[in-house]
Amino acid sequence: MKIDIDKLKKIVGGDNVSDDVADLYVYSSDASVHQALPSAIVRPQSIEQVQKIMRYANKNKIPIVPRGAGSGTSGHTVPIDGGIILDMKQMNRILEISPEDMLVRVEPGVVDDDLNRALKPYGLFYPPAPASSRIATIGGEIAANASGVRSVKYGATRDYVLGMKVVLANGKLVNLGSNTRVHSSGYQLERLIVGSEGTLGVVVEATMGIRPLPKFRCLGVTNFDKLEDAGNAISDIISSGSQPSMLELMDKIGIIAVNKAMDLNLPEVAAIIMFEADGNVKKAVDFEIDKMKKICEKHNGTGIELSYDVAERTRLFSGRKKLFASLSKYKEGIICTDLADDMGVPNSKIAVTAKKINEIAERNNVIMAVYGHCGSGVIHTKIMLDPKKKSQWKDAEKVIEELYDYVHSVGGVTSAEHGIGLSKAPPWKKARGDIIPMMRSIKKALDPNNILNPHKIMDAPDDWVGATNLRYKVG
Amino acid sequence: MGLLGKIFYIREKGNNFKRSKKWEGELNKCIRCGYCYELCPLFKTNNWESDTPRGKLLLIYGMITGEIEPTQGIVDKIFQCFYCKNCSDNCSAGVPVTDILTDARADLIEAGFEVEGTIVKVDEDLCSVCGVCVPVCKYEALSIEEKGKDQHEIIVDKVECRGCGLCVSACPSGAISQKDGCEITLPELHMKVSNLLKENKDMKAIVFCCNWSLFPGMQLSESPTLVKTPYGLIVSMCSGRVAPELVLNAFEEGAWGVMVAGCPPEECDHDGNYKTRRRLVLLKNVLKELNIEPERIKLDWFSTGESAKLSKAIDDFVKKLEKLGPIKKMEASKKFGG
Repeated sequence: MKIDIDKLKKIVGGDNVSDDVADLYVYSSDASVHQALPSAIVRPQSIEQVQKIMRYANKNKIPIVPRGAGSGTSGHTVPIDGGIILDMKQMNRILEISPEDMLVRVEPGVVDDDLNRALKPYGLFYPPAPASSRIATIGGEIAANASGVRSVKYGATRDYVLGMKVVLANGKLVNLGSNTRVHSSGYQLERLIVGSEGTLGVVVEATMGIRPLPKFRCLGVTNFDKLEDAGNAISDIISSGSQPSMLELMDKIGIIAVNKAMDLNLPEVAAIIMFEADGNVKKAVDFEIDKMKKICEKHNGTGIELSYDVAERTRLFSGRKKLFASLSKYKEGIICTDLADDMGVPNSKIAVTAKKINEIAERNNVIMAVYGHCGSGVIHTKIMLDPKKKSQWKDAEKVIEELYDYVHSVGGVTSAEHGIGLSKAPPWKKARGDIIPMMRSIKKALDPNNILNPHKIMDAPDDWVGATNLRYKVG
Repeated sequence: MGLLGKIFYIREKGNNFKRSKKWEGELNKCIRCGYCYELCPLFKTNNWESDTPRGKLLLIYGMITGEIEPTQGIVDKIFQCFYCKNCSDNCSAGVPVTDILTDARADLIEAGFEVEGTIVKVDEDLCSVCGVCVPVCKYEALSIEEKGKDQHEIIVDKVECRGCGLCVSACPSGAISQKDGCEITLPELHMKVSNLLKENKDMKAIVFCCNWSLFPGMQLSESPTLVKTPYGLIVSMCSGRVAPELVLNAFEEGAWGVMVAGCPPEECDHDGNYKTRRRLVLLKNVLKELNIEPERIKLDWFSTGESAKLSKAIDDFVKKLEKLGPIKKMEASKKFGG
């Protein structure tokens, strides 16, 4: 693929373009199992620069893959067709904080935690908080419709997008949505961009809703000897009308891993549930916490610890926060891979799904951790394997297929918050073939030359293992 | 790499990266979550993913598995690191990032690559071989070697050098330096001080922060229109890196006071804070001689995670400076073009 590096340098400046293999190789992967080399990395710093890059790429039919922190787990930013990686991290200014209108206007490279640090003095916060919030950018969160630990009360990114500026494939800038809390003025096109994984346009500015920071937060932690009991407690809490601000599950594999990684000394029981309530009236928070505590006890939850203290809450939650990375410490010789990582199931199916995951893993001799924002029905699994053994990848493929067939059979979704990308495309396509023609029509209307993050979601290959190089040396 | 180096590299291909290859299992453990970005001062300066710990591990993995051949560009990235170890200490997958990096550096030097990165270099023309720098380096990366009959020189061990820059600020001849580009050289720090004071006329204090104890809590995203603090934070790597001329430069540029925030004495990786303490006592005496209040210089210690304590200390310092007002001597000398 012939890319005019000098032209790109003229647009964004020499320091913001690279075709050095040192950069190309680093930008060839993300947190997924995939890897494919781009031809150039370009770091725009303004909307005008993005427009010029898009015009050039569209004219020359060069693939463009927008990228935030590169923390995606499904290969969204792996440039399967080569082309230009558009690294948006330089566009990282918080443009406006408006407590009057309860909104912020940000560039796409703003980091989630940085935004919340800036909002804190105003007594405000931006609720969607994936575990990767320390590095995840708002642009990346929009692309994946990220949610996180507080989604059970506060919802996902889509619930906060009020408006956005998007550069289309042809370089045209469009203003979508509004500055108002609600609108009923035509198609909700800003929402169409949410979860589109960079396939429909490049988000260059976003107007997001924000919320008042609650005065009180109380976190509870409880242990269960049976994973099923923990699943039933979660379903019960949700259906009881409780309003947790967080409701997390962590199974024994996860507990052992974080104990090894962080010396947390957590009891190595079948499962731990973390439940939180927040609000401005302490009595109301106490009421919610007490209600959830009683439900946990009813389902044999033991050793309940409660805390309002920030430091103590941080300590209690630290294992869950760093669980994903800790899983590689579970057992010597095996590592954690980002496969089948974020299915969503209806509330009533949490316990049976957790049990089924254990059964599928055991039957296929595969190690899988089960955890997640189960209060929102988000179940994270990770497959742990020896990446050098080809047979283990085959086992993983089999397990994944079986797992997704089950999730879809109970009315669940392939991905709840990480997106489809490459890894999850085969099971998603199998389940949602009905909407693929409509999605392809939308894609074609907005990007007729198919330059924006091509061959992802509905157009991704059917074989996820063979879709790109695996980033591990197998064999 | 020169031509001879290239021939050697290709001939020895099977034996290359013999140190780094033992880390393949550990490199596989890196799930590439990227959480280490948050903690990496180089990434916060350059904003290229290839400057992050994750990026470096990827490059080493690519080289040991034969997916990529080493190039000068890759070598430059591998030799850019300050060994703050924020990444290694906080990696939940337990990947020993800096140990892997050290072995990769040794392999690349053995393969004949020219290396610079954050490694210090000695200007032979300026160096008097006084040897002051040798005991300053906790890693024994500097030594006096015989060059010829009755001639000596300072040699830098490029594997052991951690790029902390303590020797740079200790060298009385200004003979030791580091490459510009990572915002830690003295001219770059001078520039940062000047820019901060020029951009915000209400700025009272310049606060030099140690990367090891405090950097992780600092922001990456910019909010220029929103945050107007009466102080400017500058990460100077180790507090021992704060050379006297940096402090005086801040006063000259209009700062009312300078605070240095370092690790508590027993916690400093480089023993740089002891040197700072001695240096700032002398500087306070210099201020007294100039009829400037010595309390305009403040040194305080903060452990990792004590950002709340730091905030309070800065607020208290700014309040004190507001009582003192601007430096009268400086004001007067400026009037007369001094």
